Amino acid sequence: MSLIEVKHLYKQYDVAKRQEGMWGAVRSLFHREYLSKMAVQDISFTIKAGEVVGYIGPNGAGKSTTIKMLTGILVPTSGDILINGIVPYKERQKNARQIGVVFGQRTQLWWDLPAIESFELLKQVFQIPQQRYRKNMDTFAEILGLGEFMQTPVRQLSLGQRMRADIAASLLHDPSILFLDEPTIGLDVVAKERMRTFIKEINQERGVTVILTTHDMSDIEKLCRRMILIDKGQVMYDGELAKIKEKFGQHRLLIIDLEGEESGFSMAGAEVIREEGNRKWLRFNRRQISASQLINQISERYEIKDLAISDPEIDEMIRQIYEKGIDQIV
Amino acid sequence: MPQIWLRNIRMYLYMVGASIRAQMQYRYAFVMNILGWAMTYAGTAITMWVLLYSFGAIEGWTFWELIFLFALAVLSWGVCMVFFFHFRGLDQYIVNGTFDRFLVRPMHPFFHFMAMKFDVGAFGQFLFSTIAVALAYHHLQMHWPLWKWLVFGGAVVGGTLIQGGLLILISAIAFWTTRSERLYWAVMWPAKSLMNYPLTIYPPGVQWVVTFILPFAFVNYLPSLLLLDKTGGGYAPYWGFLSPVVGPIFFWLCLRFWMHGLNHYKSAGS
Repeated sequence: MSLIEVKHLYKQYDVAKRQEGMWGAVRSLFHREYLSKMAVQDISFTIKAGEVVGYIGPNGAGKSTTIKMLTGILVPTSGDILINGIVPYKERQKNARQIGVVFGQRTQLWWDLPAIESFELLKQVFQIPQQRYRKNMDTFAEILGLGEFMQTPVRQLSLGQRMRADIAASLLHDPSILFLDEPTIGLDVVAKERMRTFIKEINQERGVTVILTTHDMSDIEKLCRRMILIDKGQVMYDGELAKIKEKFGQHRLLIIDLEGEESGFSMAGAEVIREEGNRKWLRFNRRQISASQLINQISERYEIKDLAISDPEIDEMIRQIYEKGIDQIV
Repeated sequence: MPQIWLRNIRMYLYMVGASIRAQMQYRYAFVMNILGWAMTYAGTAITMWVLLYSFGAIEGWTFWELIFLFALAVLSWGVCMVFFFHFRGLDQYIVNGTFDRFLVRPMHPFFHFMAMKFDVGAFGQFLFSTIAVALAYHHLQMHWPLWKWLVFGGAVVGGTLIQGGLLILISAIAFWTTRSERLYWAVMWPAKSLMNYPLTIYPPGVQWVVTFILPFAFVNYLPSLLLLDKTGGGYAPYWGFLSPVVGPIFFWLCLRFWMHGLNHYKSAGS
C-alpha cells in the first residue's frame, strides 16, 4: 500500500492586481481585480513507504506549493491528498504527528533561545516520552555533532549548524515521513555532504520516507532513486533517475578551444549547444559518431588548440527536459 | 475534552516560560520598555490635569474620576498586552513565511501563536494603573462593598477580552492582505484614546458604535458609571455589570473570524 497518495491536485492563487499611482491605491481599497494563477495543476503520484523521492523543478514550478499542501499548511483548490490515510489540511494536528518538516530557508526553532530549549519545547509539544527523547537526542547529537552549539542561541548559529539543529528537531517525534524543502540551500560542500549522509542514514536505518525538493542535482544523484520533475505546475517526468541518465548517456560533450576567431561554426554529426568566443560546446551521440571521428572532422577544417570530453551533467539534462519536453528526449 | 484543555494549558505555561527567558536575553530593552510605557501613561494623565485645570470638570467628571476612568482602561489593556499584543505582528510572520510552523505541530494554531509571546513589557501598564487606581480610590474617598470589587474584576476581564478580541480581529486581516499592522495603528490607537474621556462628550453615532459594534464602552466607561455612582447619557447603571458577558462573546466572535481567516492563509512563496 502506498503511504502518500496524491490525485488530481490543483492549487489556484488569486493575486491582487496592483494598480498604478495614488488614485489606483485608493481605488484598490474598494475594488480589487484579481489575477488567478494556477500554481499546481492536475498533479498525481503515489509514494511507497521507505522511498526517497526527489521533487524537482525550476523556481515557481509549484514545488513548495505541493509540499505545503502535503504537510497541511495550504488547502488545495481541488483534488485529493492522503498521507497514511489522513487528509492533511482537515486533520492538521493528527498529520503533524506523523510528519517531520524542514524548510531550508527558514528555521522552525525558537530564534532567541539556545537550541536545546527548542528541543525541550518540541518534546512538550509532541509529548515525546522522556526515554525516547533521550535516545533520539543522543543519536542525533552524535551523528550531527550538535553538542558543540547546543547552548548557543539559534540566532547566533551558522547556517550549517542551524540546518543540523533544524533537521534533528524535525525528527525528534519519530515521524514516518520527512519533508525537506531545499535542505542543502546555502550550505558549503562539507556541510552538504554531512546533511546527505544523515538523510541517507535515517532513511535506511529508521525507514523514514523522504520527499525532498532541491536545486542541487548532486542531492538527487546521491539520495534519490526516483525523481518527480515538475514544471509550470505539472508533472514532466516521474520515474527512475537512472532511466534519464541512460537515455542521456548516449550523449557526450566535446569542448574545444579553436585557434583564432571563428564565427558560424558548425559541424555535421554534432550540435553546438554553447559558444563563448573561441570555446565551443558540442553534443554528439556516441552511437552515431565516435569522439575520434568527430575530432578528425573538426581538425580537417579548423585549428584545435585544446579539447575536453565529458559526460553531460545532470543539470544539463534537466535543462533539456524543461526546454524540449520529456518526450523529445526519453 | 477536559484532558485536551489541560494539556494545552500545560503546554501554554511551558512555552510562556520559554518566552520570558527569551525576553530576558535583552535586559536593557526589557527595562526601558517598562519605564517607557509607564511614562507615556503618566504623560497622558498630566495632560488631563492641565485640561481640567482650565475647565474644572468635563461633562461633570472631576479630575480623579477621570483618572479612574483612564486607569481602568490602562489596567485591562495591560493584561491584554501580556497575552495578545504580539498579534499585531502576525503579518510579519505571514510575510516571512514563518507562520507555516504553527500549522505543522500538534497544537491548536491560535493557542500556539498566542503562546509564542508572553509580553512582560506590560508591567509598565500595571505600574501606572495600579498606582493611579489606588490614588483615585483614596482621593474620591470610596469604600467599595464586595459586589463593587467583583464589578471591577469583571470589567478588567471583560475589557481584556474586548481589546484582545479587536487585536486578533485586526491581525486576522493579514491572512487575506498579508498586511495588518498599519490597520492596528489606525484603528486601535484612536479607539483607545477615545476611551480616555467620558463617552457622552462624543456624538451619538460614535457612542452607538463603541457600545454595540466595537464594544469599547464596556471596557471602562460603563463599569465606571456603576463604580463611581454616576449617571450619564442614556445608559442605565446596570449596563456596567455586563462587561464580563460582552467580553467573552465579542472575543469568541473575533476568534471565529481569525479561524476563518486561517483557511485563507496563502503562505509565502518558496
